[in-house]
Amino acid sequence: MGLSLKAVEKSYGAQRVLQPVDLEAADGEFLTILGPSGSGKTTILRLVGGFTRPTGGHIRFGGTDLTDVPSHKRPFNTVFQDYALFPHMSVADNVGYGLMVRGMAKAAIRDKVVRTLEVVGLGGLLDRYPSQLSGGQKQRVALARAIVCEPKLILLDEPLAALDAEMRRHMQFFLKDLQRRIATAFLFVTHDQEEAITMSDRIVVMDKGRIEQVGAPGDIYYAPKTPFVARFFGDNNLIEGNVRDGRVETAVANFALPAGSRAEPRPVLVAVRPEKISIGGADGGRTAIACKVEETTFTGALTQLKARPLAAPQTTLLVKMTSDPGRPLPERGAETTLSFAPDTVAIVEVGS
Amino acid sequence: MSLSSERLAATAAGFLAAAVLAVLYAPVVIGALFSVIEVTRNGINWGGFSLAWYGKLWQNQSILDAVRTTLIVSACSVSLAIVLSIALALYVEWEGAIGRRLIELVVYLPFLLPPIVTGLSLLIFFANLGISRGVATIVIGHSVFVLAVLYRLVLTRLQSLPATLFEASADLGATRWQTLRHVLWPQLRSAVATGAILAFTLSFDETLISVFLAGDATTLPLRLWAMMRVGFTPEINALVTLVLLFSIALAIIVSLRMKPEGEMEE
Ligand SMILES: Nc1ncnc2c1ncn2[C@@H]1O[C@H](COP(=O)(O)OP(=O)(O)OP(=O)(O)O)[C@@H](O)[C@H]1O
Ligand SMILES: [Mg+2]
Repeated sequence: MGLSLKAVEKSYGAQRVLQPVDLEAADGEFLTILGPSGSGKTTILRLVGGFTRPTGGHIRFGGTDLTDVPSHKRPFNTVFQDYALFPHMSVADNVGYGLMVRGMAKAAIRDKVVRTLEVVGLGGLLDRYPSQLSGGQKQRVALARAIVCEPKLILLDEPLAALDAEMRRHMQFFLKDLQRRIATAFLFVTHDQEEAITMSDRIVVMDKGRIEQVGAPGDIYYAPKTPFVARFFGDNNLIEGNVRDGRVETAVANFALPAGSRAEPRPVLVAVRPEKISIGGADGGRTAIACKVEETTFTGALTQLKARPLAAPQTTLLVKMTSDPGRPLPERGAETTLSFAPDTVAIVEVGS
Repeated sequence: MSLSSERLAATAAGFLAAAVLAVLYAPVVIGALFSVIEVTRNGINWGGFSLAWYGKLWQNQSILDAVRTTLIVSACSVSLAIVLSIALALYVEWEGAIGRRLIELVVYLPFLLPPIVTGLSLLIFFANLGISRGVATIVIGHSVFVLAVLYRLVLTRLQSLPATLFEASADLGATRWQTLRHVLWPQLRSAVATGAILAFTLSFDETLISVFLAGDATTLPLRLWAMMRVGFTPEINALVTLVLLFSIALAIIVSLRMKPEGEMEE
């Protein structure tokens, strides 16, 4: 049993920046905390790392209560967003620091540092100083410094935020691969939903100091549980509606309630992913919507189409489909039929 | 055109700088010169290079004692102020600190007040406590006086360091002492060295506070002060020259030490 947070909360004075939170991370899991700026991601990470103390609740690891254990005695290591490399130490000394303060012999430290730097792909840079490294290299040194101590859990606070787009993609792959190789749990903070989806085993979505939803990337992507999550994951089409008599009624269309949804009459939000809508065809139980086309945009592999339903012109529907040069797209202003399969729709509970 | 006018300006600036340096250093150079050249009743004997005055100085026990006392006082008060300034700066930067304002006031006040006030207050303080005056009281007086310089430098450096540096150290398993020794101290070292030199200079020629707190002890400035009544002998030139060489050596050591390691931020 790995990390477990029970009713952990944090206030600064009268302001409660983290509502009581329950969270678990299994051994070897890649768990990502995702949320907008100020949602409390860093706060959770700092509480787990022991840099701040919770104002309530308990933090346990493997059954041991760590709530009152100081940072230097917790079996975790952190990769800081600003890397926090020691500027007066060489790369080798930085990476060996955690072993040195534990009193390991010099030769053994050197051995282990060399091996760890190989793992992160920085074999030849032992004697450089942090000021002589590129951003990506600092990143890897920070990573090496954390993994060399063989922690049970590695905490990473937006470690890729400072890198350029290409380096970032490269490091995403590298981090994920590294995490599998060393079989260590990662608690990873990001505000980038794509990053969260591609890297995580599970995602914790946060907003305003509260956990909105926890789940596998696919669950969160296709079955958002709250309006915030449905909105946060990009370009969902969100339509207000009501559940009544086993059907969903909206201004855009009425359709059968997807299997597994509660039938109890209530207002809901319907989330339809843009790639689940296609042009034409009301066949095979699909729900058809007559629309007027607003614009079509070729974006490379995908083509986007925006249209307004004739029945509800105040709503805009976004459609994404794979580009096909052989297929003519409807002109701007033309009328066309869009359709989706009712069971690909997510019913999001509102209220409460 | 612009090139030649630029050159003209540069030349003028060069002359000005040279003139200022000449005026500033002329007395020093003359003093140094007189320390190695014979001055007789008939005038200056330019040919007579001699280190005789240095020999005399070496035999002048009262001056040597004063120099020794001054060095001891400076070294002790600077060391004390170093420890105090680091402790105070760390406390003030700690998030739970109370009475920050008060501490800063107490640290800066003795430096800002006229030395007479500082000296007199300390005198009354020691008198009331029944502490007899001597080297120890001068050391305390000077520590209080130079603390402000060291504190300012240490605090500025400390504030420029990201908090994550110390968090990272703790995160990697270091105790507070290990963090202090391996992370904090190397980062503060150059600021402390600079502050220590400045404080040393301040303490070395501090006179007014010493007057109040000296008791039987005599520091070099006090000794020179006393000698003014009976007139100087050229061995004073020798002394001043030695002090000057010592200061220059210190300055060179500091500038050499500070460059390679100390300033490597980022
Ligand atoms: N030391 C502090 N004192 C007071 N408020 C704080 C402190 N640290 C954080 N907060 C507040 O707590 C809230 C959550 O901050 P946190 O740093 O956890 O956000 P975050 O999700 O990491 O945001 P970002 O993506 O911008 O890093 C914010 O409203 C912030 O202002
Ligand atoms: Mg943050």
